[in-house]
Amino acid sequence: MSRGTFRFSLASLVCFGLQALPVSVLAEMAPLGDDALSDVSGQGGIYLSGDISINEVGGPVENSYFGRCEEQDKKCGARFAYRLKEDGGWMVLDEIRGKFSFEGLTLRVRSIDSGFGGDGEVFDRDVIELGLPDTVRFSDVQFKLAASSTARPTDPGFQQTDIFAIEMQGDVVMQGNLLVFPDGNP
Amino acid sequence: MATDTRSLLIRYSHCLAAIMLSVALGWHSPLQAELQTLDDAELSEVDGAGIGLVLDNFTFSHGTDQPGENGEQGRIFRITGIKSTDGRDVDITVNHLYIAGAGSNYGENLTPVNLGRLVNPWRIGVVDGNDIGVPNKAILELAAPSKVMASEGYDCMGASAVAGSGTCSSRPATDDWRGERADIGMQMNVAVGGDRSSNLNLHAQSAVIDGSYIRLWGDDERRQMAGQFKLNLYSPEVSINACSQDGSVCGSRITMADFALELAIGNSLQPVFFDVDGGGNFILEVDSIARPAVGQIAANGQRSGSNAETWDYYNSYYSNPDLRSNLRIGNFSVGDRDFGSARVEGMLIQHLKIQTKDLAP
Repeated sequence: MSRGTFRFSLASLVCFGLQALPVSVLAEMAPLGDDALSDVSGQGGIYLSGDISINEVGGPVENSYFGRCEEQDKKCGARFAYRLKEDGGWMVLDEIRGKFSFEGLTLRVRSIDSGFGGDGEVFDRDVIELGLPDTVRFSDVQFKLAASSTARPTDPGFQQTDIFAIEMQGDVVMQGNLLVFPDGNP
Repeated sequence: MATDTRSLLIRYSHCLAAIMLSVALGWHSPLQAELQTLDDAELSEVDGAGIGLVLDNFTFSHGTDQPGENGEQGRIFRITGIKSTDGRDVDITVNHLYIAGAGSNYGENLTPVNLGRLVNPWRIGVVDGNDIGVPNKAILELAAPSKVMASEGYDCMGASAVAGSGTCSSRPATDDWRGERADIGMQMNVAVGGDRSSNLNLHAQSAVIDGSYIRLWGDDERRQMAGQFKLNLYSPEVSINACSQDGSVCGSRITMADFALELAIGNSLQPVFFDVDGGGNFILEVDSIARPAVGQIAANGQRSGSNAETWDYYNSYYSNPDLRSNLRIGNFSVGDRDFGSARVEGMLIQHLKIQTKDLAP
Protein backbone atom coordinates (compact mmCIF):
# COMPACT_ATOMS: atom_id res chain seq x y z
CA MET A 1 0.00 0.00 0.00
CA SER A 2 1.45 3.37 -0.97
CA ARG A 3 1.49 5.99 1.73
CA GLY A 4 1.53 9.70 1.31
CA THR A 5 0.05 12.59 3.12
CA PHE A 6 -1.36 15.51 1.31
CA ARG A 7 -3.91 18.22 1.68
CA PHE A 8 -6.65 18.38 -0.84
CA SER A 9 -9.70 20.47 -1.42
CA LEU A 10 -12.84 20.02 -3.43
CA ALA A 11 -11.21 22.04 -6.20
CA SER A 12 -8.25 19.69 -6.40
CA LEU A 13 -10.62 16.74 -6.52
CA VAL A 14 -12.24 18.29 -9.57
CA CYS A 15 -8.81 18.86 -11.16
CA PHE A 16 -7.93 15.27 -10.45
CA GLY A 17 -11.11 14.19 -12.21
CA LEU A 18 -10.27 16.30 -15.26
CA GLN A 19 -6.77 14.90 -15.45
CA ALA A 20 -8.18 11.42 -15.45
CA LEU A 21 -10.14 12.11 -18.62
CA PRO A 22 -9.02 9.93 -21.51
CA VAL A 23 -6.55 11.52 -23.92
CA SER A 24 -5.50 10.07 -27.24
CA VAL A 25 -2.61 7.63 -26.94
CA LEU A 26 -0.42 7.05 -29.99
CA ALA A 27 1.85 4.22 -28.84
CA GLU A 28 0.97 0.77 -30.10
CA MET A 29 -0.17 -1.57 -27.37
CA ALA A 30 1.05 -5.11 -27.22
CA PRO A 31 -0.62 -7.85 -25.22
CA LEU A 32 1.16 -9.18 -22.12
CA GLY A 33 1.36 -12.91 -21.69
CA ASP A 34 0.20 -14.63 -18.53
CA ASP A 35 3.80 -15.06 -17.36
CA ALA A 36 4.61 -11.41 -17.79
CA LEU A 37 1.36 -10.40 -16.13
CA SER A 38 2.01 -12.61 -13.14
CA ASP A 39 5.09 -10.47 -12.39
CA VAL A 40 3.12 -7.26 -12.23
CA SER A 41 2.28 -6.17 -8.76
CA GLY A 42 -0.02 -3.19 -8.60
CA GLN A 43 -0.35 -0.81 -5.75
CA GLY A 44 -2.52 -2.07 -2.97
CA GLY A 45 -4.63 1.03 -2.69
CA ILE A 46 -4.65 4.65 -1.68
CA TYR A 47 -4.07 6.11 1.75
CA LEU A 48 -5.33 9.63 2.25
CA SER A 49 -4.81 12.10 5.01
CA GLY A 50 -5.85 15.68 4.91
CA ASP A 51 -8.80 17.91 5.28
CA ILE A 52 -11.75 19.11 3.31
CA SER A 53 -13.02 22.54 4.09
CA ILE A 54 -16.19 24.13 2.86
CA ASN A 55 -16.38 27.93 3.01
CA GLU A 56 -14.11 28.06 6.05
CA VAL A 57 -13.60 31.80 5.69
CA GLY A 58 -16.34 32.45 3.17
CA GLY A 59 -17.25 31.65 -0.40
CA PRO A 60 -16.39 33.38 -3.67
CA VAL A 61 -19.57 35.42 -3.91
CA GLU A 62 -19.65 38.80 -2.24
CA ASN A 63 -22.80 40.86 -2.49
CA SER A 64 -25.43 42.39 -0.27
CA TYR A 65 -26.20 38.98 1.30
CA PHE A 66 -23.07 36.84 1.05
CA GLY A 67 -19.65 37.85 2.31
CA ARG A 68 -16.60 36.84 4.34
CA CYS A 69 -17.16 35.02 7.60
CA GLU A 70 -15.75 37.90 9.65
CA GLU A 71 -18.44 40.24 8.33
CA GLN A 72 -21.11 40.09 11.00
CA ASP A 73 -24.09 41.03 8.83
CA LYS A 74 -23.24 38.70 5.93
CA LYS A 75 -23.79 34.98 5.44
CA CYS A 76 -20.65 33.07 4.50
CA GLY A 77 -21.81 29.47 4.15
CA ALA A 78 -22.66 27.62 0.95
CA ARG A 79 -26.27 27.29 -0.14
CA PHE A 80 -27.87 24.38 -1.97
CA ALA A 81 -31.47 24.81 -3.11
CA TYR A 82 -33.70 22.29 -4.86
CA ARG A 83 -37.24 22.56 -6.06
CA LEU A 84 -39.85 19.88 -5.39
CA LYS A 85 -42.66 21.10 -7.62
CA GLU A 86 -43.04 23.08 -10.82
CA ASP A 87 -43.45 26.72 -9.79
CA GLY A 88 -43.18 25.67 -6.14
CA GLY A 89 -40.85 26.84 -3.41
CA TRP A 90 -37.37 25.56 -2.69
CA MET A 91 -35.92 23.22 -0.07
CA VAL A 92 -32.62 24.64 1.05
CA LEU A 93 -29.49 23.38 2.74
CA ASP A 94 -28.13 26.70 3.87
CA GLU A 95 -25.02 28.08 5.52
CA ILE A 96 -23.03 24.93 4.91
CA ARG A 97 -19.52 25.36 6.21
CA GLY A 98 -16.82 23.72 8.22
CA LYS A 99 -13.72 21.59 8.01
CA PHE A 100 -13.36 17.81 8.14
CA SER A 101 -9.83 16.60 8.96
CA PHE A 102 -8.89 12.94 8.87
CA GLU A 103 -5.91 10.69 8.76
CA GLY A 104 -5.93 7.30 7.14
CA LEU A 105 -8.88 7.17 4.80
CA THR A 106 -8.04 4.19 2.61
CA LEU A 107 -9.38 3.14 -0.75
CA ARG A 108 -8.67 -0.27 -2.23
CA VAL A 109 -10.22 -3.17 -4.03
CA ARG A 110 -10.82 -6.13 -1.75
CA SER A 111 -11.60 -9.65 -2.81
CA ILE A 112 -14.06 -11.31 -0.46
CA ASP A 113 -14.46 -15.07 -0.45
CA SER A 114 -14.70 -15.86 3.25
CA GLY A 115 -15.85 -14.43 6.56
CA PHE A 116 -18.94 -12.25 7.10
CA GLY A 117 -20.62 -15.03 9.07
CA GLY A 118 -20.60 -17.32 6.04
CA ASP A 119 -21.77 -14.70 3.52
CA GLY A 120 -18.26 -14.17 2.13
CA GLU A 121 -18.06 -17.65 0.66
CA VAL A 122 -21.41 -17.27 -1.13
CA PHE A 123 -20.57 -13.73 -2.28
CA ASP A 124 -17.07 -14.50 -3.68
CA ARG A 125 -16.53 -11.21 -5.53
CA ASP A 126 -14.46 -8.04 -5.48
CA VAL A 127 -15.68 -4.93 -3.75
CA ILE A 128 -14.42 -1.37 -3.44
CA GLU A 129 -13.46 -0.85 0.17
CA LEU A 130 -13.42 2.63 1.65
CA GLY A 131 -11.62 2.32 4.96
CA LEU A 132 -12.98 4.97 7.31
CA PRO A 133 -10.46 6.82 9.42
CA ASP A 134 -10.96 5.98 13.09
CA THR A 135 -11.79 9.55 13.90
CA VAL A 136 -12.73 12.53 11.79
CA ARG A 137 -12.14 15.93 13.33
CA PHE A 138 -15.01 18.30 12.65
CA SER A 139 -14.16 21.99 12.99
CA ASP A 140 -17.16 24.31 13.11
CA VAL A 141 -19.19 22.05 10.87
CA GLN A 142 -22.67 23.44 10.47
CA PHE A 143 -25.61 23.52 8.13
CA LYS A 144 -29.21 24.59 8.25
CA LEU A 145 -32.29 22.98 6.72
CA ALA A 146 -34.79 25.52 5.49
CA ALA A 147 -37.66 26.08 3.09
CA SER A 148 -37.51 29.15 0.90
CA SER A 149 -39.76 30.98 -1.55
CA THR A 150 -36.93 31.75 -3.98
CA ALA A 151 -33.75 29.98 -4.99
CA ARG A 152 -31.40 32.87 -4.24
CA PRO A 153 -31.65 35.06 -1.16
CA THR A 154 -31.09 38.07 -3.40
CA ASP A 155 -34.14 37.29 -5.56
CA PRO A 156 -37.19 39.55 -5.16
CA GLY A 157 -39.84 38.28 -2.75
CA PHE A 158 -37.33 36.18 -0.81
CA GLN A 159 -38.85 34.59 2.25
CA GLN A 160 -37.32 31.72 4.18
CA THR A 161 -38.35 29.54 7.10
CA ASP A 162 -35.48 27.84 8.88
CA ILE A 163 -36.48 24.39 10.09
CA PHE A 164 -33.41 23.47 12.13
CA ALA A 165 -29.65 23.85 12.19
CA ILE A 166 -26.95 21.32 13.06
CA GLU A 167 -23.61 22.19 14.57
CA MET A 168 -20.84 19.63 15.07
CA GLN A 169 -17.39 20.06 16.50
CA GLY A 170 -14.60 17.82 17.73
CA ASP A 171 -13.56 14.23 17.14
CA VAL A 172 -16.25 12.02 15.66
CA VAL A 173 -15.64 8.31 15.98
CA MET A 174 -16.15 6.68 12.58
CA GLN A 175 -14.62 3.23 12.45
CA GLY A 176 -15.04 0.48 9.92
CA ASN A 177 -15.11 -0.06 6.19
CA LEU A 178 -17.69 0.93 3.64
CA LEU A 179 -17.96 -1.77 0.99
CA VAL A 180 -19.39 -0.73 -2.36
CA PHE A 181 -20.36 -3.13 -5.14
CA PRO A 182 -22.83 -3.51 -7.98
CA ASP A 183 -25.94 -5.21 -6.79
CA GLY A 184 -28.90 -7.02 -8.22
CA ASN A 185 -31.02 -6.34 -11.24
CA PRO A 186 -33.75 -3.91 -10.33
CA MET B 1 -22.81 27.63 -8.06
CA ALA B 2 -24.36 29.09 -11.20
CA THR B 3 -24.27 32.85 -11.56
CA ASP B 4 -24.05 33.24 -7.86
CA THR B 5 -21.21 30.85 -7.49
CA ARG B 6 -22.13 30.30 -3.88
CA SER B 7 -25.57 29.02 -4.51
CA LEU B 8 -25.70 25.71 -6.17
CA LEU B 9 -29.15 25.48 -7.55
CA ILE B 10 -30.35 22.16 -8.67
CA ARG B 11 -33.75 21.99 -10.13
CA TYR B 12 -35.01 18.59 -9.28
CA SER B 13 -36.70 16.81 -12.10
CA HIS B 14 -37.68 13.24 -12.59
CA CYS B 15 -35.10 13.01 -15.36
CA LEU B 16 -32.31 12.67 -12.78
CA ALA B 17 -31.40 9.29 -14.13
CA ALA B 18 -31.41 10.62 -17.69
CA ILE B 19 -28.92 13.31 -16.69
CA MET B 20 -26.69 10.76 -15.01
CA LEU B 21 -26.87 8.60 -18.10
CA SER B 22 -25.97 11.47 -20.39
CA VAL B 23 -23.07 12.44 -18.13
CA ALA B 24 -21.85 8.86 -18.17
CA LEU B 25 -22.04 8.72 -21.95
CA GLY B 26 -20.47 12.16 -22.36
CA TRP B 27 -17.51 11.14 -20.23
CA HIS B 28 -16.00 9.04 -22.97
CA SER B 29 -14.03 10.19 -25.97
CA PRO B 30 -15.79 12.39 -28.56
CA LEU B 31 -19.26 11.22 -29.45
CA GLN B 32 -20.75 12.63 -32.61
CA ALA B 33 -24.23 11.26 -32.15
CA GLU B 34 -26.85 13.57 -30.78
CA LEU B 35 -28.10 12.60 -27.35
CA GLN B 36 -31.82 12.44 -26.91
CA THR B 37 -33.70 12.45 -23.69
CA LEU B 38 -35.42 9.29 -22.58
CA ASP B 39 -38.96 9.62 -21.37
CA ASP B 40 -40.20 7.98 -18.21
CA ALA B 41 -41.62 4.95 -19.96
CA GLU B 42 -38.34 4.28 -21.76
CA LEU B 43 -36.32 4.89 -18.63
CA SER B 44 -38.43 2.47 -16.67
CA GLU B 45 -37.26 -0.26 -19.03
CA VAL B 46 -33.61 0.37 -18.16
CA ASP B 47 -32.28 -2.56 -16.17
CA GLY B 48 -29.15 -1.26 -14.52
CA ALA B 49 -27.56 -2.86 -11.53
CA GLY B 50 -27.94 -0.79 -8.39
CA ILE B 51 -25.17 -0.06 -5.94
CA GLY B 52 -24.89 -2.28 -2.89
CA LEU B 53 -23.48 -0.84 0.31
CA VAL B 54 -22.28 -2.70 3.39
CA LEU B 55 -20.73 -1.09 6.45
CA ASP B 56 -18.27 -3.61 7.83
CA ASN B 57 -16.87 -3.48 11.36
CA PHE B 58 -18.62 -0.14 11.88
CA THR B 59 -18.91 2.14 14.89
CA PHE B 60 -20.17 5.71 14.99
CA SER B 61 -20.08 7.92 18.03
CA HIS B 62 -20.32 11.63 18.59
CA GLY B 63 -21.53 13.86 21.36
CA THR B 64 -20.97 16.92 23.46
CA ASP B 65 -18.36 17.16 26.20
CA GLN B 66 -18.89 18.85 29.53
CA PRO B 67 -17.28 22.30 29.41
CA GLY B 68 -13.77 22.37 30.88
CA GLU B 69 -12.45 24.83 33.46
CA ASN B 70 -12.30 27.68 30.98
CA GLY B 71 -15.61 26.80 29.43
CA GLU B 72 -14.02 25.19 26.37
CA GLN B 73 -15.65 22.08 24.94
CA GLY B 74 -13.78 19.41 22.98
CA ARG B 75 -16.82 18.08 21.22
CA ILE B 76 -20.08 19.81 20.42
CA PHE B 77 -23.14 18.38 18.67
CA ARG B 78 -26.07 20.73 18.74
CA ILE B 79 -29.39 21.13 16.96
CA THR B 80 -30.62 24.70 16.98
CA GLY B 81 -32.92 27.04 15.08
CA ILE B 82 -36.15 25.63 16.53
CA LYS B 83 -38.49 28.06 18.28
CA SER B 84 -40.98 27.38 21.04
CA THR B 85 -44.56 28.63 20.63
CA ASP B 86 -43.75 31.67 22.78
CA GLY B 87 -40.83 32.53 20.50
CA ARG B 88 -37.97 31.34 22.70
CA ASP B 89 -35.01 29.53 21.14
CA VAL B 90 -34.95 25.78 21.58
CA ASP B 91 -31.50 24.26 21.75
CA ILE B 92 -31.07 20.50 21.65
CA THR B 93 -27.64 19.45 22.82
CA VAL B 94 -26.87 15.89 21.78
CA ASN B 95 -24.71 14.47 24.56
CA HIS B 96 -24.14 11.20 22.77
CA LEU B 97 -25.30 9.65 19.51
CA TYR B 98 -24.03 6.18 18.75
CA ILE B 99 -24.42 3.27 16.35
CA ALA B 100 -22.54 0.22 17.57
CA GLY B 101 -22.67 -3.52 18.11
CA ALA B 102 -25.33 -5.22 20.22
CA GLY B 103 -24.62 -5.46 23.94
CA SER B 104 -23.34 -1.88 24.24
CA ASN B 105 -25.04 -1.41 27.63
CA TYR B 106 -26.86 1.77 26.56
CA GLY B 107 -23.84 3.11 24.69
CA GLU B 108 -21.31 2.59 27.49
CA ASN B 109 -19.35 -0.10 25.71
CA LEU B 110 -19.07 0.45 21.97
CA THR B 111 -18.16 -2.52 19.79
CA PRO B 112 -18.27 -2.77 15.99
CA VAL B 113 -21.24 -4.02 14.01
CA ASN B 114 -22.01 -4.74 10.37
CA LEU B 115 -24.84 -2.92 8.62
CA GLY B 116 -26.21 -4.78 5.61
CA ARG B 117 -25.14 -8.21 4.39
CA LEU B 118 -23.06 -8.92 1.29
CA VAL B 119 -25.90 -11.11 0.05
CA ASN B 120 -28.54 -8.53 0.99
CA PRO B 121 -26.95 -5.09 1.27
CA TRP B 122 -28.24 -1.54 1.52
CA ARG B 123 -29.13 -0.48 -2.01
CA ILE B 124 -29.21 2.69 -4.06
CA GLY B 125 -30.63 2.22 -7.51
CA VAL B 126 -33.23 2.96 -10.12
CA VAL B 127 -36.08 0.46 -10.12
CA ASP B 128 -38.74 -0.22 -12.71
CA GLY B 129 -42.01 1.28 -11.47
CA ASN B 130 -44.00 -1.41 -13.27
CA ASP B 131 -42.69 -3.92 -10.69
CA ILE B 132 -43.90 -1.93 -7.70
CA GLY B 133 -47.23 -0.57 -8.88
CA VAL B 134 -46.16 2.83 -10.24
CA PRO B 135 -46.60 2.24 -13.99
CA ASN B 136 -44.10 3.54 -16.53
CA LYS B 137 -41.90 5.35 -14.08
CA ALA B 138 -38.23 5.08 -13.27
CA ILE B 139 -37.97 5.25 -9.50
CA LEU B 140 -34.99 6.21 -7.41
CA GLU B 141 -34.80 3.91 -4.42
CA LEU B 142 -32.72 3.90 -1.27
CA ALA B 143 -33.40 0.70 0.58
CA ALA B 144 -32.26 -1.12 3.68
CA PRO B 145 -31.74 -4.90 3.36
CA SER B 146 -34.98 -6.44 2.15
CA LYS B 147 -37.12 -8.90 4.06
CA VAL B 148 -36.64 -12.54 3.07
CA MET B 149 -38.68 -15.76 3.06
CA ALA B 150 -39.43 -17.00 6.57
CA SER B 151 -37.66 -20.26 5.68
CA GLU B 152 -34.35 -18.39 5.19
CA GLY B 153 -34.61 -15.41 7.52
CA TYR B 154 -34.12 -14.71 11.20
CA ASP B 155 -36.66 -13.71 13.80
CA CYS B 156 -36.61 -9.90 13.86
CA MET B 157 -36.52 -9.70 17.67
CA GLY B 158 -34.76 -12.76 19.00
CA ALA B 159 -31.21 -12.21 20.21
CA SER B 160 -30.44 -15.86 19.55
CA ALA B 161 -32.62 -16.32 16.45
CA VAL B 162 -31.47 -19.01 14.04
CA ALA B 163 -31.98 -19.32 10.27
CA GLY B 164 -35.55 -20.13 9.32
CA SER B 165 -37.10 -18.39 12.34
CA GLY B 166 -38.40 -15.19 10.71
CA THR B 167 -38.37 -12.74 7.83
CA CYS B 168 -35.47 -10.45 8.78
CA SER B 169 -32.26 -10.79 6.81
CA SER B 170 -29.98 -9.14 9.37
CA ARG B 171 -28.61 -11.64 11.86
CA PRO B 172 -28.22 -11.28 15.62
CA ALA B 173 -24.72 -11.37 17.08
CA THR B 174 -23.30 -14.81 17.93
CA ASP B 175 -20.03 -15.96 19.47
CA ASP B 176 -18.45 -16.20 15.99
CA TRP B 177 -20.00 -13.26 14.22
CA ARG B 178 -20.77 -9.68 15.27
CA GLY B 179 -24.08 -9.74 13.41
CA GLU B 180 -25.95 -7.02 11.55
CA ARG B 181 -28.12 -5.68 14.35
CA ALA B 182 -26.98 -2.40 15.86
CA ASP B 183 -27.50 -0.72 19.18
CA ILE B 184 -28.60 2.82 18.40
CA GLY B 185 -29.02 5.52 20.97
CA MET B 186 -29.18 9.21 21.59
CA GLN B 187 -28.80 11.12 24.83
CA MET B 188 -29.91 14.68 24.58
CA ASN B 189 -30.66 17.74 26.57
CA VAL B 190 -33.37 20.16 25.53
CA ALA B 191 -33.21 23.80 26.56
CA VAL B 192 -36.08 26.21 25.97
CA GLY B 193 -34.71 29.72 26.38
CA GLY B 194 -32.68 29.61 29.58
CA ASP B 195 -34.49 26.58 31.03
CA ARG B 196 -32.35 23.54 30.57
CA SER B 197 -34.21 20.29 31.18
CA SER B 198 -32.74 17.07 32.46
CA ASN B 199 -31.20 14.67 29.98
CA LEU B 200 -33.49 12.57 27.85
CA ASN B 201 -32.14 9.23 26.69
CA LEU B 202 -33.44 7.03 23.88
CA HIS B 203 -31.94 3.61 23.22
CA ALA B 204 -32.86 0.81 20.83
CA GLN B 205 -31.06 -2.44 21.36
CA SER B 206 -30.15 -4.84 18.61
CA ALA B 207 -32.24 -2.82 16.14
CA VAL B 208 -33.17 -4.08 12.69
CA ILE B 209 -34.67 -1.89 9.96
CA ASP B 210 -34.95 -4.54 7.25
CA GLY B 211 -37.59 -3.83 4.63
CA SER B 212 -37.38 -0.03 5.02
CA TYR B 213 -37.06 2.16 1.95
CA ILE B 214 -37.49 5.58 0.41
CA ARG B 215 -38.67 5.73 -3.20
CA LEU B 216 -38.81 8.96 -5.15
CA TRP B 217 -40.12 9.87 -8.57
CA GLY B 218 -41.73 12.73 -10.46
CA ASP B 219 -45.49 12.88 -10.79
CA ASP B 220 -46.58 14.02 -14.28
CA GLU B 221 -49.98 15.34 -13.35
CA ARG B 222 -48.97 17.44 -10.38
CA ARG B 223 -45.47 18.11 -11.74
CA GLN B 224 -44.11 17.42 -8.31
CA MET B 225 -41.80 15.08 -6.46
CA ALA B 226 -43.70 12.05 -5.23
CA GLY B 227 -42.52 9.30 -2.96
CA GLN B 228 -43.12 6.28 -0.82
CA PHE B 229 -41.62 5.95 2.61
CA LYS B 230 -41.51 2.78 4.65
CA LEU B 231 -39.82 2.49 8.02
CA ASN B 232 -39.60 -0.85 9.76
CA LEU B 233 -37.94 -0.87 13.16
CA TYR B 234 -37.68 -4.01 15.22
CA SER B 235 -35.94 -4.09 18.54
CA PRO B 236 -36.14 -6.39 21.54
CA GLU B 237 -35.93 -3.32 23.77
CA VAL B 238 -36.56 0.36 23.13
CA SER B 239 -36.19 2.46 26.22
CA ILE B 240 -36.62 6.08 27.24
CA ASN B 241 -35.51 7.61 30.49
CA ALA B 242 -34.58 10.95 31.95
CA CYS B 243 -31.52 11.67 34.03
CA SER B 244 -30.22 14.72 35.84
CA GLN B 245 -27.93 16.93 33.77
CA ASP B 246 -24.75 15.33 35.06
CA GLY B 247 -26.30 11.88 34.54
CA SER B 248 -25.82 10.85 38.18
CA VAL B 249 -29.52 10.37 39.06
CA CYS B 250 -31.96 8.79 36.62
CA GLY B 251 -35.73 8.41 36.79
CA SER B 252 -37.67 5.26 36.01
CA ARG B 253 -36.89 3.75 32.65
CA ILE B 254 -39.81 3.40 30.24
CA THR B 255 -39.13 0.12 28.49
CA MET B 256 -40.88 -1.19 25.42
CA ALA B 257 -39.93 -4.83 24.99
CA ASP B 258 -40.26 -6.52 21.60
CA PHE B 259 -40.92 -3.25 19.83
CA ALA B 260 -42.05 -3.48 16.20
CA LEU B 261 -42.89 -0.42 14.12
CA GLU B 262 -43.95 -0.77 10.50
CA LEU B 263 -44.71 2.74 9.29
CA ALA B 264 -45.91 3.32 5.71
CA ILE B 265 -46.31 6.90 4.50
CA GLY B 266 -47.35 7.03 0.87
CA ASN B 267 -47.95 3.96 -1.26
CA SER B 268 -48.28 3.09 -4.92
CA LEU B 269 -51.93 4.26 -5.03
CA GLN B 270 -51.45 7.28 -2.79
CA PRO B 271 -47.93 8.63 -3.01
CA VAL B 272 -46.68 11.24 -0.58
CA PHE B 273 -46.00 14.63 -2.20
CA PHE B 274 -43.37 17.12 -1.09
CA ASP B 275 -43.60 20.85 -1.66
CA VAL B 276 -42.58 24.24 -0.36
CA ASP B 277 -45.17 27.01 -0.53
CA GLY B 278 -44.62 30.66 -1.47
CA GLY B 279 -44.06 31.66 2.15
CA GLY B 280 -41.21 29.18 2.57
CA ASN B 281 -43.13 26.52 4.49
CA PHE B 282 -42.54 22.84 3.91
CA ILE B 283 -45.60 20.77 2.97
CA LEU B 284 -45.92 17.01 3.05
CA GLU B 285 -49.16 15.65 1.67
CA VAL B 286 -50.82 12.30 1.11
CA ASP B 287 -53.74 12.91 -1.22
CA SER B 288 -57.02 11.16 -0.52
CA ILE B 289 -57.87 8.34 -2.88
CA ALA B 290 -60.20 9.34 -5.74
CA ARG B 291 -63.88 8.49 -5.32
CA PRO B 292 -65.23 5.92 -7.75
CA ALA B 293 -67.38 7.38 -10.53
CA VAL B 294 -71.14 7.09 -10.09
CA GLY B 295 -72.36 3.61 -11.00
CA GLN B 296 -68.94 1.98 -10.86
CA ILE B 297 -69.64 0.23 -7.57
CA ALA B 298 -72.96 -1.58 -7.07
CA ALA B 299 -75.27 -0.31 -4.33
CA ASN B 300 -74.74 -3.46 -2.28
CA GLY B 301 -70.95 -3.13 -2.57
CA GLN B 302 -70.56 -6.58 -4.10
CA ARG B 303 -68.22 -7.29 -7.00
CA SER B 304 -71.03 -8.68 -9.11
CA GLY B 305 -72.90 -5.68 -10.47
CA SER B 306 -69.87 -3.39 -10.08
CA ASN B 307 -67.26 -2.50 -12.64
CA ALA B 308 -64.82 -5.37 -11.93
CA GLU B 309 -61.65 -3.31 -12.50
CA THR B 310 -62.78 -0.50 -10.23
CA TRP B 311 -63.99 -2.91 -7.57
CA ASP B 312 -60.62 -4.73 -7.62
CA TYR B 313 -58.76 -1.43 -7.37
CA TYR B 314 -60.60 -0.39 -4.22
CA ASN B 315 -60.53 -3.89 -2.83
CA SER B 316 -56.77 -4.01 -3.14
CA TYR B 317 -56.50 -0.54 -1.60
CA TYR B 318 -58.48 -1.58 1.47
CA SER B 319 -57.11 -5.11 1.85
CA ASN B 320 -53.40 -4.83 0.99
CA PRO B 321 -51.48 -5.16 4.28
CA ASP B 322 -48.40 -3.47 2.71
CA LEU B 323 -50.22 -0.14 2.64
CA ARG B 324 -50.91 -0.21 6.35
CA SER B 325 -48.87 0.82 9.37
CA ASN B 326 -48.50 -1.25 12.54
CA LEU B 327 -47.09 -0.74 15.99
CA ARG B 328 -46.66 -3.67 18.36
CA ILE B 329 -45.14 -3.59 21.80
CA GLY B 330 -44.61 -6.92 23.53
CA ASN B 331 -44.50 -5.45 27.02
CA PHE B 332 -44.71 -1.85 28.13
CA SER B 333 -43.20 -1.14 31.50
CA VAL B 334 -42.24 1.84 33.61
CA GLY B 335 -39.62 1.06 36.25
CA ASP B 336 -40.71 -2.24 37.76
CA ARG B 337 -44.38 -1.90 36.78
CA ASP B 338 -45.58 -3.86 33.76
CA PHE B 339 -48.48 -2.64 31.67
CA GLY B 340 -48.64 -5.61 29.33
CA SER B 341 -48.65 -5.57 25.56
CA ALA B 342 -50.02 -2.95 23.18
CA ARG B 343 -50.93 -3.23 19.53
CA VAL B 344 -52.07 -0.68 17.00
CA GLU B 345 -52.50 -2.51 13.74
CA GLY B 346 -53.74 -1.88 10.23
CA MET B 347 -53.60 1.93 10.22
CA LEU B 348 -54.22 3.25 6.72
CA ILE B 349 -53.27 6.85 6.06
CA GLN B 350 -56.15 8.03 3.88
CA HIS B 351 -55.25 11.70 3.91
CA LEU B 352 -52.39 13.56 5.49
CA LYS B 353 -51.18 17.10 5.17
CA ILE B 354 -48.37 18.45 7.27
CA GLN B 355 -47.27 22.03 6.84
CA THR B 356 -44.51 23.72 8.79
CA LYS B 357 -45.34 27.15 10.20
CA ASP B 358 -42.93 29.83 11.17
CA LEU B 359 -43.61 30.80 14.77
CA ALA B 360 -40.93 33.45 14.90
CA PRO B 361 -42.47 36.81 15.73
